[in-house]
Amino acid sequence: MQDIKEILWEICKAPGSPGQEGAARQAVKAVLEKVCPQAVLNDDPMGNLTAFLGDKHSQNQLLFDAHLDQIGMVVTGITEEGFLHLAPCGGVDRRVLPGSPVDVYGKERLTGIVCCQPPHLSDGKAEKVEPVEEMYVDLGLSRAQAEEMVRPGDAVLLHVEPRQMLGARVTAAGLDNRAGVAVLLRCAQLLGGKPLSCGVTFLFSSREEIGCEGARVAAYQVQPSQAVVVDVSFARQPGVPPQKSGSMGAGMMIGTAPSLDACVTSRLIALCKEHGWDYQMEVMGGRTGTNADVIGITRAGVPTGLISVPLRYMHTTAETIDCKDAEYTAQLLAAYVQEKGGALDG
Amino acid sequence: MADLKLLEELCSLYGVSGNEGPVRQKLCDLLTPFADRIETDALGNLLVYKQGKQRPKTRLMISAHMDEVGLIVTHITDDGLLKFATVGGIDNRILCGKQVMVNGHYGVIGGKPVHLMKGEEREKAVAVDDLSIDIGAMNRAQAEQAVSLGDTVGFVSGFDRFGNKVRARALDDRAGCAIVAGLVQSELAYDMTFVFCVQEEIGLRGARVAAYQVQPQAAIVVECTTAADLSGVGAGKQVCRLGEGPVVPFMDRSTIYDREYYELAFRLARENGLLCQTKQRIAGGNDAGAIHVSRGGVRTVSVSVPCRYLHSPMGMIAQEDFDAAQTLTALLAEHIAGHPAV
Repeated sequence: MQDIKEILWEICKAPGSPGQEGAARQAVKAVLEKVCPQAVLNDDPMGNLTAFLGDKHSQNQLLFDAHLDQIGMVVTGITEEGFLHLAPCGGVDRRVLPGSPVDVYGKERLTGIVCCQPPHLSDGKAEKVEPVEEMYVDLGLSRAQAEEMVRPGDAVLLHVEPRQMLGARVTAAGLDNRAGVAVLLRCAQLLGGKPLSCGVTFLFSSREEIGCEGARVAAYQVQPSQAVVVDVSFARQPGVPPQKSGSMGAGMMIGTAPSLDACVTSRLIALCKEHGWDYQMEVMGGRTGTNADVIGITRAGVPTGLISVPLRYMHTTAETIDCKDAEYTAQLLAAYVQEKGGALDG
Repeated sequence: MADLKLLEELCSLYGVSGNEGPVRQKLCDLLTPFADRIETDALGNLLVYKQGKQRPKTRLMISAHMDEVGLIVTHITDDGLLKFATVGGIDNRILCGKQVMVNGHYGVIGGKPVHLMKGEEREKAVAVDDLSIDIGAMNRAQAEQAVSLGDTVGFVSGFDRFGNKVRARALDDRAGCAIVAGLVQSELAYDMTFVFCVQEEIGLRGARVAAYQVQPQAAIVVECTTAADLSGVGAGKQVCRLGEGPVVPFMDRSTIYDREYYELAFRLARENGLLCQTKQRIAGGNDAGAIHVSRGGVRTVSVSVPCRYLHSPMGMIAQEDFDAAQTLTALLAEHIAGHPAV
């Protein structure tokens, strides 16, 4: 588990608010240079990064996608007292904000605290959590000082250090979807230097959390013959029903849904069985809520599969995964490429 | 100048009420060379006796509390999650999603994904009973290897300085501990007793027995107090403000303070060019509540560092308030000990 954990630590340190993935993109490039120097990299105007391996003339062009952005917030203004107004950028869980340390990416990285009114002043409304637009970030600066350092539009991310928990479990900021990014990087490490009969594009896509815009344009550009999206999904935890979740540490979740390609899905399952890897099924009734939804309908259509790493406490500062689930997902993707060159011949 | 390095060291230690050992050990090691006598009492208070150049006219005790708010493990579920109770006054709005430390293991207080919540649920703080701590255990047996019922749980957060502000966990009341420790390390004009108390956050329990034992005629309580000088909080509700000096209250929810000492504090501040403010709302309370009614009564004054986000994983103080609180405490101590109490 050491490789994937090291990769995770590297990429979780870099911020990647939707539309401002630059630092995260740099971190991914630095990891690729170490683990898969053969990969041919390409940046696009939307903030996507692709890394290509294998034969670009092959009929079989696989696209593996993981979104690089994480939910964040954005500065919308500065108050008289020097506090920052905020708006959410993606599906922020406002319940985790009060009292949380944040990083504000102004002229330089600044640390702040999301204000929470002291309990003695809440007038019996302590159960209510204000909307993000009514919260403030305290930088400990006056208005003039704050205006020097911060402008509206600057990104704000919750400040969380990655931590090792018991066994192979870890918690870190933005494991949704740095877990998926780590899977792709680990897969690139497994494939690097191996002869491949097909082409594989690893797509580290931007802006998923606000509407999958990155993957939409990147998939158009790449023109894959098929695709597999790696994201995170709900792991069992208090308050989450079993029919909507998988067990953490019990293997990757293979998606099956009307919007996903049944052949890709069957092949993923067959490979798990062949190799004896644990897997779980995640069944969805229509679309998937991931980049698979937009990649599948790119140009004339792309057969697309979905694998999810089970994750607890999604969109909070407490996101947690089991590295085993991520490691086997990477091995599954590598096997998918190496066996039959990714050809969908049944 | 107060000692920021010591403050950082003290804030890096865990000392949830009832489990103050690491903080006591640190203070004991640090102060033993400066004390004439140092002892730990039955409840875990650290009592430090130190002689000055002269015998005092008033027996003075100066206190700060070592404990901090936190959580305590009450149950381990079959799934290996830890259920907990709060220790001290914690606002349950700040719990969800936070990293914690329990018995040397990292954990998180998990919340349900926002995607699976409906309407009102998204706007409400989660009740403590509905939260649990996840340390990464697969099941109860694995969790029990790492954690026992009754283990205390502290928040994980760093110490950092930006401009004149300091941000850290447990500033309440390690800031007071650092100030009082600074006095112990200084030359004293009069004999004084310094007390580092346990269990303030669960009802001023350490200070009660320490005051009985020390039998002071007067006391100074060095604390952190709520500053609510935030955007969106009206002037009348701000209690006190960062950067406007130490807070000397005339009254809070636990104590009506000695009027002469209250006025003395402001006079000494004025004469020495220090900023000083009072609490503009009757809020909070501290060890003074137990100390001023000890035995036959103790004349008590409090010097507090204004602190935003008290009782949350990360508070904020202004360095100049911290420095001035130390200076004012020293001035008050010398004046009180040098004059008869009655």
